[in-house]
Amino acid sequence: MAHTAEFDAKEAWSGGQSPFRVSYGKMFMWFFLISDALTFGGLLVSYGFIRHKYAEIWPKAENVFTHFPFIEQHLPLAYVGLMTFILIMSSVTMVLAVEAGKRMDRRGVLVWMFWTIIGGLAFVGSQAWEWFHFIKGTDTGAMRNVWDMATGKYVLQEWHGANMTVNEYGVPQFANYFFFITGFHGTHVFSGVVINFVIFMNAVNGTYERRGHYEMVEKVGLYWHFVDLVWVFVFTFFYLL
Amino acid sequence: MEFHDDYPSYETMYNHDEAYGKKARRTLWNVFWIMLAITIGELIVGFMAPGKGWSGSIWLKIFFISFTIIKAGYIVIAFMHLGHEVKFFKYIVLLPYIIFMFYLIFIVLTEGTYAGQKSNVTRVDPVLVQQQLDLQKGHGHGNGHAASAGHEEASKEEAHH
Repeated sequence: MAHTAEFDAKEAWSGGQSPFRVSYGKMFMWFFLISDALTFGGLLVSYGFIRHKYAEIWPKAENVFTHFPFIEQHLPLAYVGLMTFILIMSSVTMVLAVEAGKRMDRRGVLVWMFWTIIGGLAFVGSQAWEWFHFIKGTDTGAMRNVWDMATGKYVLQEWHGANMTVNEYGVPQFANYFFFITGFHGTHVFSGVVINFVIFMNAVNGTYERRGHYEMVEKVGLYWHFVDLVWVFVFTFFYLL
Repeated sequence: MEFHDDYPSYETMYNHDEAYGKKARRTLWNVFWIMLAITIGELIVGFMAPGKGWSGSIWLKIFFISFTIIKAGYIVIAFMHLGHEVKFFKYIVLLPYIIFMFYLIFIVLTEGTYAGQKSNVTRVDPVLVQQQLDLQKGHGHGNGHAASAGHEEASKEEAHH
């Protein structure tokens, strides 16, 4: 029950035990998360650099992300706020599953992991909806100089939606970074949902009861919390700042 | 489960009983309410910012970044249970990452001077500049077509990259 207490360094490193009192699997999940955090950190710093370079003409997120499903109104950042809430909620259900696992409460683990998976699917679905509306664009669109293959010249025309070279919201890098960073994060969320599902099925089959511990749930929980952590940063730098 | 007596089985060492579980769950729900409050606060400020002209100000940036770091701290310490680990392990996870992030941001700020200086201004398509000006004058929708049609001739001369 008690979590770790401090102990003497010489004794810790004298062999026969983990110097950090943590199992191999959990330690290496932490090391993997550090490496993944470095990747996302690099991406976000590069995003900040480009955004600063085009600071005067970078589109404001409140003007771009204004849609909400089934509600035909101008609701800036409302849906993104809901997505943040869904992901934080799924993080809470995940950590409750971990806590249930520490009490060897199989039914608790199943219930909370089920809701975590639902939350993850809701987030991925919402992100897909955001992408769809981002790519489709608004009715008004914007004037853009678009390369015309037929004439070999740039033509000024009304442009709707977004692709990798031109978008109606602002500079091309705005769409590029949106797709890359939210896409990379969304891939992590999706892979997390898949992994959560595999562990869920293992728990259903009683694998962890036989093993005597639910540490696999905890390790997978670390990955899921990391995904939430990255979203907190993406949400701040992309949508708020 | 596999039996080994040459090193401790950390996986089972941290299992806890019902009483400790109750306290743990209460802490977790408290952290959730704190996170919800912070997120709603950030959203309200983010919503009000353009109307009050706070956009781009240093105070807004400090506000958002510090609350984001507070949220990140809660997730790492409470949800990922890093707060329960041995102190040395906490350092091993956090210190290299934090030091490297500070270093990266420092290098970008000091060495990245080839972008943004007045003498080095990137040539940007004027339609993009005009779009943002129109958005600031009006609000959001409905300005794309009408305003741009007026300066179409001017854009056409410079309509090459």
